[in-house]
Amino acid sequence: MNNKRILGLFNDFDQASAAIRELRGADLPHLDWNEVTIKSPIEHPDVESLLGVRSIPIRKYTLLGALLGGGLGFLGIATAQGNFFQQLKGGKPIIPFPPDFVLTYEMFILGGVYITVLGFLISAGLPTRMKSDLYNVAVSGDQIGVMVKSNAHCVDAVRGIFERHHVLSIQEEVVK
Amino acid sequence: MNSVTQAKDKDIREDLSWSQINRDVLASLERPRATYWVLFALAFAVFLVGLGCEAYQYDTGLGVSGMNNPDVWGLYIATFIFWIGMSHSGTLLSAILHIIHADWRKPIYRFAEAMTTFSLMTAGLFVAVHLGRLWEIYYALPYPNERWTWPNFQSPLLWDAMAIFTYLSSSILFLYVGAIPDFAICRDYATGWRKTFYGKLALGWMGTDRQWRNFRVSYLVIACFLIPLAVSVHSIVASDFAMSQQPGWHITSFPPYFVAGALYSGCAAIITLFIILRHVFRFEEYMTLPILDKTARLTFAIAMVWTYLNCIEYATVWYGDSEVAKETLMQRATGPYSVYWWAMNFLGSVLPFTLIFKKVRANLSAMMVISLLLNLGMWLERWMIVTPTFSHGYYPWTWNHSFFPSLVQWGIVFGSFGWFGMLFMLFCKLVPSVSMYEVKEMVFHRKLARLHASQA
Amino acid sequence: MSLDATLNDWTKLRQTHPLPGSHPDLKWAMAIDLDACTGCNACVVACYAENNLPVVGKEKFAAGQAMHWMRIERYWNEADENAPEQGAQFLPMMCQQCEAAPCETVCPVGATNHTNDGLNSQVYNRCIGSRYCSANCPYKVRYFNWYNYPEQVKAWPEPLPMQLNPDLTVRTKGVMEKCTFCVQRLTDAKNNARTEGRPIRDGEVTTACAQACPTSAITFGNLSDAHSQVAQKWRLQRVELDKDKQLKDIDGSHPGLRGYRIFEDLRPYPSVMYLERVRDTQA
Repeated sequence: MNNKRILGLFNDFDQASAAIRELRGADLPHLDWNEVTIKSPIEHPDVESLLGVRSIPIRKYTLLGALLGGGLGFLGIATAQGNFFQQLKGGKPIIPFPPDFVLTYEMFILGGVYITVLGFLISAGLPTRMKSDLYNVAVSGDQIGVMVKSNAHCVDAVRGIFERHHVLSIQEEVVK
Repeated sequence: MNSVTQAKDKDIREDLSWSQINRDVLASLERPRATYWVLFALAFAVFLVGLGCEAYQYDTGLGVSGMNNPDVWGLYIATFIFWIGMSHSGTLLSAILHIIHADWRKPIYRFAEAMTTFSLMTAGLFVAVHLGRLWEIYYALPYPNERWTWPNFQSPLLWDAMAIFTYLSSSILFLYVGAIPDFAICRDYATGWRKTFYGKLALGWMGTDRQWRNFRVSYLVIACFLIPLAVSVHSIVASDFAMSQQPGWHITSFPPYFVAGALYSGCAAIITLFIILRHVFRFEEYMTLPILDKTARLTFAIAMVWTYLNCIEYATVWYGDSEVAKETLMQRATGPYSVYWWAMNFLGSVLPFTLIFKKVRANLSAMMVISLLLNLGMWLERWMIVTPTFSHGYYPWTWNHSFFPSLVQWGIVFGSFGWFGMLFMLFCKLVPSVSMYEVKEMVFHRKLARLHASQA
Repeated sequence: MSLDATLNDWTKLRQTHPLPGSHPDLKWAMAIDLDACTGCNACVVACYAENNLPVVGKEKFAAGQAMHWMRIERYWNEADENAPEQGAQFLPMMCQQCEAAPCETVCPVGATNHTNDGLNSQVYNRCIGSRYCSANCPYKVRYFNWYNYPEQVKAWPEPLPMQLNPDLTVRTKGVMEKCTFCVQRLTDAKNNARTEGRPIRDGEVTTACAQACPTSAITFGNLSDAHSQVAQKWRLQRVELDKDKQLKDIDGSHPGLRGYRIFEDLRPYPSVMYLERVRDTQA
């Protein structure tokens, strides 16, 4: 049933957020707020918060990556030192803590950074095919887009709200 | 606050339109004119000099570098540390200033981050060049093999390898992830092969709130990791010296001293590239004089930190118990390398005082010359750490060995600048050297702040 | 598998070195009597012959790129002109085979390690030539192959290759090398002793330098064998392997002691003991 998409482009964040507020107030019956997105050239946390509370799971990935990196790093290095013919060097213990600490620290950071990037790509849904979504190059310029995916009746109401808030252009498409 | 402020005192004009920002920066990516190709050819020629010297050295043996017993390390290690040091600029500007919300970094951090990446790649060249058996460099990597041989994890040189690998890959990821929204802009305005190229790089970025939300947090988290990483990388490089027992090296303040020196040379290099890019791409609206002013003041502050750590090293040796360390220090000041040592101290500690004067900070030619001289001072510092200790170490039999790098060493050092230049020039034409979306944010927030200030 | 092994041996893997009793059977050491040394350089030549060292020529020697694993250092005391040797003092210096060698920890690929019989080993095949070991050596007794001596510099023109010792390699460029206490001879002696089911006898094997010395200034042997000549000399001089300050230097109460080790306060625990020249201080 939710087979129509509408993208309205606004001049600035104020007009876009006013449109979203009216959309909230209108309390449309078939509108799933998860299907409302903002497309903008820069971030704006306040306006994004109008869409509701949405989770950012990045930090969980970071923690996992850092712990894995540090843990596996230490285990790998210590077992390597304990098994490479157990070579004595310079009077120091065969598994010395200062070098192992330095390397564990580096691997901790390596794991943290790599898994965070992975987490970013997964959480942001990148890479994605642009053909599967409505987009306008003005979004990378200076216009703010508000996109709603819903049924035909809802989309008509949304169009009306957009027009009341000085929308610059509207794009619609039917989703297959 | 006086609402009527001179345009030249502001870091950026708040009424810059976003589409103009796009236009100005994308103009820098256009097909290059003849001057670009001439300069690129020049950088390539310089690189070829280095390559030729290395080919000769590879074929004949390291003896052609003029090194001997006890002078087993020369300009290769010194320049390696110099390039690693220069790489700290990007982290300083991108990560540290980001965390403290200093938004004047926004127009300039992109090329600083690129400088980080290319400095690290140039430093990697020196690791290769300095080895006696370069074709077996992979022995230093922990790869599984049927003999179960692993590298020596106790060696500071190996920590270098791990740390620099981590730093290089994290820097590249940070640079790339931070540029995704800009690649989207490039994709939207490009045609032909460029459109496909930027399209692939942008990963389908559409600026949705979901993408921005996750982007914001990821960027901050990676910046938080990058700062301790940068500090630890250069501390590890310092450990190459501090963890040995040679006089003049075995000094506990070496790790922070090296990190301070790295931030110092990174800042000076930022000023140099700032002035070049501002002129070449006509980025006067973005790389403004107030931002240069702030960068210069930051450089001065770091110069003072470096001066302190430098002088404290001399003081601790002077008041310490080790006769040999004291002799080594005196030999640096009065021996065969004294000219370079005094030059390093002058350029590193006295010259930055010119940055106190606003007239100097606002004069682009003066800043260009000063920033190059500051970096020369920092290069000399690295050399003065490496070689004088060999010329006056513990063992008397090794004294009175004079060591001067041969032309082969100078050639390779020279060539590395050509390599860096080539990489940087490629970057300038393929990646927007000013971060468009961040400049838009900067303009947006300042406009908002000005609006609130005038309403209050 | 390897994790189990690591956990089982954990105590052993955390021990530092040297500990008393860490070489119960075999510990190679040397004692060099500087009073007997005449500076004749026979030991240097013997080392060149035994270990396939290239003669680098006048220019490279002056440039400091010589390859002499054993070097005779000359120190001049100009005030001593009336003494027969005109104020010259000679010090034969080679790798001290330190028990806590500063060179071992810093090699990035692990080309230098400590063996069970107390030698500092140098593995030519593993060396990638970073030269950190030489940078960290306080004695600067490590020598780097700055050129390709066998093939490019042609250090052994025909028929000299027939003189080369087949028991060890000829090193190419880019590799670090140093005195090994003639490890090829030691390995041979150990093999013979093991075949015959007996310990190594004192005097059965010696280094090329000790063999060539006309005044027997160099004594080489097994420090763990209480009856060997070298162990007796160390004991006589009250020098102990795992201490960083010996009786001679603690106070002046033993003026007759002549034995010392070089750079002991840096704590590399070298295996070579030098015996001071006897000085006639009353004359």
